[in-house]
Amino acid sequence: MPQRLCSLCLLLAALFLAACGEEERPVKVSLDKRQEITARPQLPAITYAYLPQYSHTESFQRHQQLVEYLADETGLPIRQVFPDTFAHHIGMFGQGKIDISFSNPFVYVSLANRYGAKAMARIVEEDGRAEFRGQIIARRDNEAIQSVEDCRGKSWVAVDPSSAGGYLFPLGHFVDHGLTLRDFKEVVFAGGRQENVILGVYAGLHDLGSIREGSLKVVADKIDIAQIKVVANSRWYPGWVYAYSPRLPQEKADKIRDALLKLDYAHDPRHRAILDAAKFIGFVPSEDRDFDPIRELSHKVGLDLE
Amino acid sequence: MSNHLLQAFHGLRFRTKITLGMTLMLIFCGLSIGLILSAMSSKALLEEGKKRGMALSSGLAFRLTEPLLAMDFLQMKNLIDNVHSQYGDIIYIFLTDTRGNILSHTFSGGFPTDLLGINEDSRTTQPLLLTTERGLVYDFNVRVVLGEKSLGTVRMGLSRSDMDAQIGQQRLISLLTTLGVVSLGIILALWFARTVTRRLNRLRASAEEIVKGNLDVQAGTSLEKNCWEIMECGKHDCPAYGDARRRCWYLAGTLCPNCQGKEYPLKIESCRSCPVFRYNFGDELQDLAEAFDVMAVTVKNHIEELTEREKTIARQQGLLKTIMNVTPDFITLQDKELTYRFASKAFCDHFRLKEEEVVGKTDFDIFSERQADLNYHEDKQILITGQPLAKEITFKRPEGQKWFHIVKVPVYDQDGSIMGLLLTARDISVLKKFQEQLIQSQKMEDLGRLAGGVAHEINTPLGIILGYTQLLMDDITDEELLDNLKVVEKQTKVCRKIVADLLGFSRHSHSVREAVDINASLREVIQLVEHAFFLNRIKIVFRPDETIPALTGDRERLKQVWLNLLNNAADAIGQDGLISVQTGHGGHGQIVVSVADTGMGVDRDHLNKIFDPFFTTKQVGKGTGLGLSVSFGIIKEHGGTISALSPPPEEYLPSGLPRSEPAGPGTVFVAELPVSGRAVQ
Repeated sequence: MPQRLCSLCLLLAALFLAACGEEERPVKVSLDKRQEITARPQLPAITYAYLPQYSHTESFQRHQQLVEYLADETGLPIRQVFPDTFAHHIGMFGQGKIDISFSNPFVYVSLANRYGAKAMARIVEEDGRAEFRGQIIARRDNEAIQSVEDCRGKSWVAVDPSSAGGYLFPLGHFVDHGLTLRDFKEVVFAGGRQENVILGVYAGLHDLGSIREGSLKVVADKIDIAQIKVVANSRWYPGWVYAYSPRLPQEKADKIRDALLKLDYAHDPRHRAILDAAKFIGFVPSEDRDFDPIRELSHKVGLDLE
Repeated sequence: MSNHLLQAFHGLRFRTKITLGMTLMLIFCGLSIGLILSAMSSKALLEEGKKRGMALSSGLAFRLTEPLLAMDFLQMKNLIDNVHSQYGDIIYIFLTDTRGNILSHTFSGGFPTDLLGINEDSRTTQPLLLTTERGLVYDFNVRVVLGEKSLGTVRMGLSRSDMDAQIGQQRLISLLTTLGVVSLGIILALWFARTVTRRLNRLRASAEEIVKGNLDVQAGTSLEKNCWEIMECGKHDCPAYGDARRRCWYLAGTLCPNCQGKEYPLKIESCRSCPVFRYNFGDELQDLAEAFDVMAVTVKNHIEELTEREKTIARQQGLLKTIMNVTPDFITLQDKELTYRFASKAFCDHFRLKEEEVVGKTDFDIFSERQADLNYHEDKQILITGQPLAKEITFKRPEGQKWFHIVKVPVYDQDGSIMGLLLTARDISVLKKFQEQLIQSQKMEDLGRLAGGVAHEINTPLGIILGYTQLLMDDITDEELLDNLKVVEKQTKVCRKIVADLLGFSRHSHSVREAVDINASLREVIQLVEHAFFLNRIKIVFRPDETIPALTGDRERLKQVWLNLLNNAADAIGQDGLISVQTGHGGHGQIVVSVADTGMGVDRDHLNKIFDPFFTTKQVGKGTGLGLSVSFGIIKEHGGTISALSPPPEEYLPSGLPRSEPAGPGTVFVAELPVSGRAVQ
């Protein structure tokens, strides 16, 4: 009997112990022991900014490796900064907070016109070109539109008022052929999405659409793109460009350009990884006059890039 | 201590034990499960709290990526403050960059620098528990990461008190739930215990009733539907039909086709598939109770049978005992060792012994050695040979010669061997006496016949002697001679009387049926003897009731009775006395004739013997001892009775009558005769 009682007690004790579980041992910390603190100032570095086409995170992820590569390659301290908007980007460049700007040609022209930015390299996109152009599309069965002139009085759906390939380049092309915005029945914008433009035309909602060349491939798995015909292509314009601030010493700018041009997508896997993250495949040297067509275009379509 | 507990536990009622046991079990299980679950859920809650903290920190770190990249301090502050203000249990949040600079924090009035020295590495187990002035705080360290690049670190302090409160509340709910469940369980246990023990108590009460002797118990419950209702058999002859107390599968001789006429243990196999069994069969307790009931009923029946048999045996025993005790015969039973096993009352009384002084003893303990030795050898011979013995023995006793007829027979048991000896002995003294008297009376009859012949022959010469004597007396004047002649005359008369008696006694006349006037017959007899009695100064007072009717009978034989009675009375008086003769009505239409005298009376001891033949108190030669016996016979032949009373009651011998001195106590003979008169045989 006593043994039975003992075992019962032991069992109960075990249960109670199990119920308690292991207890964490806290670290003693005083929250009342306060001290005013200040952040240590950042070290001076060359600032690198990507025109905020995407979120900071996306910008960071695309360019972080490239920035690190440039810093390693040139031995210069380079730091990516993140302007919130295009205007902010331009403003920061003007304020000298951006030393190296990676932007589209229109922004570059603005920067060059306003703050003396100097182009140093253009990117080569995945199609292997450093230029791009716009396309005017219509339904293949739309017999009424066979040429640019046929677009007169028709409904035009464009990507966005600020879209280069999806609006400005085709608009320049229309202007070259004597059509202004007033010559269209309507000009509708598709909210910045190339696909919406193609789908709008495909569905017959609009007579014609304007897209950046290459966009049709994107929707090939969604619609029968054979039903879409390209009415006309705009001329080639230069693509995205790296420019440097006139404040940046020339030798540093040269170092950076050399480093950029040194990137070899085809043969160096490390470079390939860097370029894959940045979503282009290489660089070509560039200078300011490469962007004269943009200046012309802005003049044609009444875009103020000053 | 444990022994006391054990003893106390043993002393508890079964119901309490069940309840207690189940309660303890429930409490034990409830507490165990409750504690384990509580511990598990506490742990889970804590883990959940940590996860929540981690999620909050991670979410915050994710949202802080952009402002951190943009170095947008306002947004950092906004985000941090937003989270801090949104959740009350968040004590602090601060953000550091990769170099450890605090970019933003929620503290006002300085930063607690202690926090910078701890939990710096987010790769260690998160969170870290801190004890602060504001209680226990979990400190979460989450890196702000983009790709593989660390941008900074978010540190968040989450108060544990809320989690503890939640855990406490959960434990309380657990405890209350456990208690509730345990209480419910206890109630159920009570109900269960009650249900079980009610049936057990019923069984126990039934057992107690049986111990008390009351076999009319019912431990089992009544059935909802009895077998005959289920089977709708209508077999009223079946022993199970109408027997609501016993289950049919316990009964033998049930008439269901399924039962196949088997008895209980054999039929149960076939019963298992029977609808009645399946409908009515209960659990073990019900089975026990029902078996118990069957047992009680069976025992009751057996006991009743036994009681009945016992009664019968007792009755027979009583009857046998009565017979044995009442019978005047001696009856004894001896076993093979000749030890007495039984002795009748008559035997015991005869030897002035008590029954217990005989039973278990042998002859050597009871009788003289010589007698015992004699008996022993005699008995042994019977036991050996098996030959019964019958003999008559006689011995003297103060009250006279005793005769016994003894029969000894061997007693056989069931297997045919001799197991004892039965003795019966009958007192045949009276029979012997009758035998002697019969022989005597045969002699007397022969003598009477002889005497009758002689008397007849003598009667004539006596008549001549008497005639001539009386003639001579008339002629003789000589006084002396006359006196002598008178003697001759007297003696001759005596002779003639004797002769007449002898003739009367010996005469076998055929009875004649006629109407007899009792008063007239009495007068005739009285006239006959009156003169002779008068000579002895005996006066006869006759007081006839003239209203009595005549009866049918033999006049002469009745007159012989009256004559006998009168002679008897005269003999009892001798000289100087009174004889009162009365007739009258008796009860039941009978005629009563009484003859009372003032003689010497009859001894009380002799009163019941005076009608015996040859009983006489008279001197030898004065009476034959036949008179009253003959009278008794005659009255009996007439369907009447005769009895004697001494002294006579007043009504038969009124004191007013003149009596001469000296007078004895007297005797009265009362004869009662039916008027209708039973036919004289």
